[in-house]
Amino acid sequence: MTLLDPTISPVALLAADTSSRELLDEFSKREIRRAVLTAVAVPGYQVPFASREMPVARGWGSGGLQITLALVGPEDTVKVIDQGEDAGVNAANLRRLIADTTGVDTTTVAGEATIVQTRHRVPEDALGDDQILVLQVPVPEPLRGVERDMTELRRMHAEGDYARMWVSLYEDLVRNGVITQTTGYPCLVGGRYVMATTPIPRWDIPKLHRSAHLSLFGAGREKRIYAVPPHTDVEPLTFDDVPFEVERTEGASCHRCGAGSPDSGVESFLVELPGTEGGRWVCSDTDWCNRRLSSGMVAR
Amino acid sequence: MAEHRTVKLEVQGLHKSFVLHAVDGRRINALNGIDLAIHTGEHVALVGSSGAGKSTLLKSVYRTYLPDSGTVTLRLAAGAAVELTGLEDRELVALRVREIGYVSQFLRSEPRRSVRDTVARAGRRRGLDHDASLDAAAEILRRLGIGENLWRSYPSLLSGGEKQRVNLASGIICPPGLLLLDEPVSALDPANRESVLALIAELTSWGTTVLAVFHDLDAIERLADRVVLLSGGTVAESGHPTDVLRTLTNPLGAIA
Amino acid sequence: MTPALRVDGLGKIYGPGTTADVAGTGPGFNRVVSPTSGGIVAAWDVSFEVGPGEALGVIGESGSGKSTVMRCICGDEEPTTGSIRLASVDGGGTDLRTLSPARRRALRVDRLAVVYQDPAEGLDLRLSAGGNVAERLTAAGWRNFGRIRERASELMLRTDVPLDRMDDPVREFSGGMRQRVQLAKALANNPPVVLLDEPTTGLDASVAASVLDLIRDLLEELGVAAVVVSHDFAVIEMLTQRVVVMHHGRIVEAGLTDQLLEDPQHPYSQRLVGAARG
Repeated sequence: MTLLDPTISPVALLAADTSSRELLDEFSKREIRRAVLTAVAVPGYQVPFASREMPVARGWGSGGLQITLALVGPEDTVKVIDQGEDAGVNAANLRRLIADTTGVDTTTVAGEATIVQTRHRVPEDALGDDQILVLQVPVPEPLRGVERDMTELRRMHAEGDYARMWVSLYEDLVRNGVITQTTGYPCLVGGRYVMATTPIPRWDIPKLHRSAHLSLFGAGREKRIYAVPPHTDVEPLTFDDVPFEVERTEGASCHRCGAGSPDSGVESFLVELPGTEGGRWVCSDTDWCNRRLSSGMVAR
Repeated sequence: MAEHRTVKLEVQGLHKSFVLHAVDGRRINALNGIDLAIHTGEHVALVGSSGAGKSTLLKSVYRTYLPDSGTVTLRLAAGAAVELTGLEDRELVALRVREIGYVSQFLRSEPRRSVRDTVARAGRRRGLDHDASLDAAAEILRRLGIGENLWRSYPSLLSGGEKQRVNLASGIICPPGLLLLDEPVSALDPANRESVLALIAELTSWGTTVLAVFHDLDAIERLADRVVLLSGGTVAESGHPTDVLRTLTNPLGAIA
Repeated sequence: MTPALRVDGLGKIYGPGTTADVAGTGPGFNRVVSPTSGGIVAAWDVSFEVGPGEALGVIGESGSGKSTVMRCICGDEEPTTGSIRLASVDGGGTDLRTLSPARRRALRVDRLAVVYQDPAEGLDLRLSAGGNVAERLTAAGWRNFGRIRERASELMLRTDVPLDRMDDPVREFSGGMRQRVQLAKALANNPPVVLLDEPTTGLDASVAASVLDLIRDLLEELGVAAVVVSHDFAVIEMLTQRVVVMHHGRIVEAGLTDQLLEDPQHPYSQRLVGAARG
């Protein structure tokens, strides 16, 4: 046996095995898929899973990455965005990693992807029932801000006791006159569990409500997976007399495609270009913006 | 006349003793078989030397003292008769609100509550609404000579005589069917004593039954329909005030 | 008359003891610790009922078991034996001990409120006074911010908390003010039964007096059934009409409050009253 051959080092042996470039073995994938199935069965409930070491730092998308790696098959096409952008360093690296280790096709066009892995955004155009949105989650626990004790947190979720979450909204309103929470706004999923919506802006929350697509949330560092199945209610927590409002920047429009201007007739989530002193804005979803431009819908 | 009226309160074979556990379990007998019946609207005055059991009887009827044996039967305003010594504590608490009132010579008013509020609250406990209770309190305080300038003070700041009248006002606002009075005019000057006695006389004329202890014979003569002389914890004599009081002033009869 | 709260044969043993040890403890033996097992029979055979609009006092020295009884009733402790019933739960037909922990806890929202000696137990000191009240209201399903503010203001007024302090964190409040906020929170959803555990103990005399006045007024006006646990006769006399005396985990005497004070029957009660009255 070669293993017993003192002239060949075991490290060299392992390095020589190039039969699989995959980051997850089949057992790991199965365990993650099981967690995903449980999450789909109990919408909004955080399912623990054995988060693996990934070649990205925990908190840098390792949870979303593991879900994507566990779900992709040869037929899939994957899109990866970071803050709505396909070209971001983080998104590009993750996309390359996924493609290199699984061999799947990648795309930047939302409509062509079967799996969209994202950090901090939901694509502007609604996804269809044949698409899966995978969100990278840094902090999966929506009640972290009001309670630190894990046992008490579990009890609150188990009993649907969200009074203290409501109180934190109350206190926010009293102190600031408005609910200041902008990203990761807490939502009630399927009328049962309160869920952290990762740091997506409020703008994106209506896109999770009764959507055709499946949303999966992966938190690698915190070892939790949760889901919003298609056509499930996602209701932002708010008081009856304090309407939930999405972000809008008065007078701003995309300097490229014009979205947000009165005559464009469309709106998208805009971000300010760095170094432009409140002047130039651009669509956060670059793919959406590009397609508007290339379709000729926009007169330049 | 009295025979035609219903019996309001009937006390039969009432015994009360105190066991002093701290003093080698010594037993002191205070009431040794009291029998007494009072008709509705009757005013009965208890007399007797100190220690004869006058206050003990009042408190045993009210159940501030727990009787050893015997019965105390009260006819309620609605007509039913209730035996008090064996009554559940909870039910007795309820009866005390509307059916039996007890006014002691000492002010038992609650601390830090104004004069008018003290009286008005007593009225509210007996079913008056907020505004009616304040009106009734004002009226009764005026009649008892407690001027408006005192209504906002705490009773603890008042003179002995004023306290006594506030106490009485709380006891007789919305008067309960049976009123137990324990020396209610002991600290009053003659003028105020007059208005209090007039008010008590008025109560009985409206049908309130009174069992009272007065320290002065004049009050008894004016108010009481009947006088019961207690001696050694039993009823020694019962009859028309002038008859019994004559016995009492007789030097021999006074030695009870 | 259905009692608002009914407690039957309540018992609590801490430590290794079993019911077999109960016989060797209590006032007759002058101890609560079982000599055979070392188990602590903190309360045994405790029964009473309280009707609407009535306040029952539970008096005793520290260690007499009165707070244990209260904690067993409200669910902070699980009793070893006995039953607890509320008229507001199944008309008194259900022993609260048979309810799931979640349902048991939910009763605290609007059926059975507790005011603790230490406000930190009943309040979240990081939250504002209004926020503490809001917690109870939102737990009961209130979802209208304006109405929550209105109800919280109403409760602040009722418990003499200055309205301009309603939005300040409770941790910045004095002890007396905290206790008022705790009362406001306890009463937020008009619970038919309120348990008060030494509600004025530990406050300065003048502050204690004004909190006591407030409790007295609230009990009179709201018609709740109250259980007042205290070692202080002045508190019991002012707030309650009936009382039970606890000693070494047992009720040694039950009666009318004025009767207990003027004609205590049990040797221990006489000693207690004698000591209090000097």
